[in-house]
Amino acid sequence: MTKNRWVRDYGPIVLAGLITGAAALVLTALGNPKNMGFCIACFERDIAGALGFHSAAKVQYLRPEIVGIVLGAMLAAIAAKEFRAKAGSSPASRFLISLFVMIGALVFLGCPLRMVIRLGGGDLTAVAGLLGFLAGILVGIVFLKKGFSLGRAYPVPAAEGAVLPGGMAALLVLLLAAPGLLRFSSEGPGSQRAFWLISLAAGVLVGAAAQRSRLCMAGGLRDAFLLRDFRLLSGFLAIWTAVTLGNLIMGSYTLSTVSQPVAHSQYLWSFLGMALAGWGSILLGGCPLRQLILAGEGNGDSAVSVLGMVTGAAAAHNFGLAGNPDSVVDGAYQVGGTSTAGMAAVLLGFAVLLAVTLTHLPKKEGAR
Amino acid sequence: MRQRRLQLVVAFHTTAAAMATEALCRRLGLAGKLISVPRQVTSDCGIAWSAPPELRETLEIRLTEAGVETAGFYELMV
Repeated sequence: MTKNRWVRDYGPIVLAGLITGAAALVLTALGNPKNMGFCIACFERDIAGALGFHSAAKVQYLRPEIVGIVLGAMLAAIAAKEFRAKAGSSPASRFLISLFVMIGALVFLGCPLRMVIRLGGGDLTAVAGLLGFLAGILVGIVFLKKGFSLGRAYPVPAAEGAVLPGGMAALLVLLLAAPGLLRFSSEGPGSQRAFWLISLAAGVLVGAAAQRSRLCMAGGLRDAFLLRDFRLLSGFLAIWTAVTLGNLIMGSYTLSTVSQPVAHSQYLWSFLGMALAGWGSILLGGCPLRQLILAGEGNGDSAVSVLGMVTGAAAAHNFGLAGNPDSVVDGAYQVGGTSTAGMAAVLLGFAVLLAVTLTHLPKKEGAR
Repeated sequence: MRQRRLQLVVAFHTTAAAMATEALCRRLGLAGKLISVPRQVTSDCGIAWSAPPELRETLEIRLTEAGVETAGFYELMV
């Protein structure tokens, strides 16, 4: 009886976490960058590059994983009769928050999902990001308790909810039918990719599993701190477990703070970047992965959030805000990290999130 | 692991409404607690209010009076 309850309560989310972790390992083994089998921030940045929204030559590829996640979530939602088109919850503020969530994530070099995958590869530089993410979540919770709200969403015509999934399907058609219109990296992380059909299938699988289970990095920590409910957090832990075990089995686990793939050791800015991403994710009601899932379920506000993140990715690379990985040049280890502009953008991000927060607090107690 | 029992679950459109409900119920001395909204209610990952089923009418009245918008009342084993 107790065992059945555990399976019912934790089974779907743990399974979704294991699927996501396994998918990340498979994609890495088949060509995706190390410790980046799945990264929503990195892949949306790559898509922004593929579409010519930025000109960082090393990070341009129309990642089918992102298309797959949205379409997988949509198919799962339709199958379960949970596709509900709705919108109208402060879209402009969501766009702005999402833009800075992306900048924060790219300063760290990864979204919350990649943070877990980096930890699963033994990348100890990601611990600073984890601590920052936790801090950002806690700040967000403080304001949730004070009544922060972006307002409710309202039902809209189904076609409105299908805009982002339709856009993703169009991008896939573009990749397959007119690749000449897109940009492709010939070196760097954007050039490292699994075969498109495998990437798409992995995305569909993860999208469907995440839709059924509500997998969310930010929501998991919010529920754990606010409600002492550890169900969503168990998905987070399942990803870490799967990736850690997989890397250990495949001999690709390197427990170290140096020479980690696409990572830097500027800990303060990793902390602050992910604090920005964590706080913003709580304000949005979900991490970057969750925004893709909600957009697949027909949520127009999350579609706006995804577009905000793509815009943030373009801004991060056009203005030199994204972090630079540590590297070895002529035999010498060079610490990467954040530019002065990147540091300024993170601080500006905190100011923007604070302004959005303060303008969306209740004017008097009890008024909703 | 605690026993599951039949509870009234109040769902909301926003987290802020759930927080307002908690504050209201604390002020009025009404039993209940915030929970993660059950999966069978919605695919959203928001926050709901769980209370004894006999408080349904009281909560409907009090929340309406306080202007707290709800997304539904459900009686579930939680």
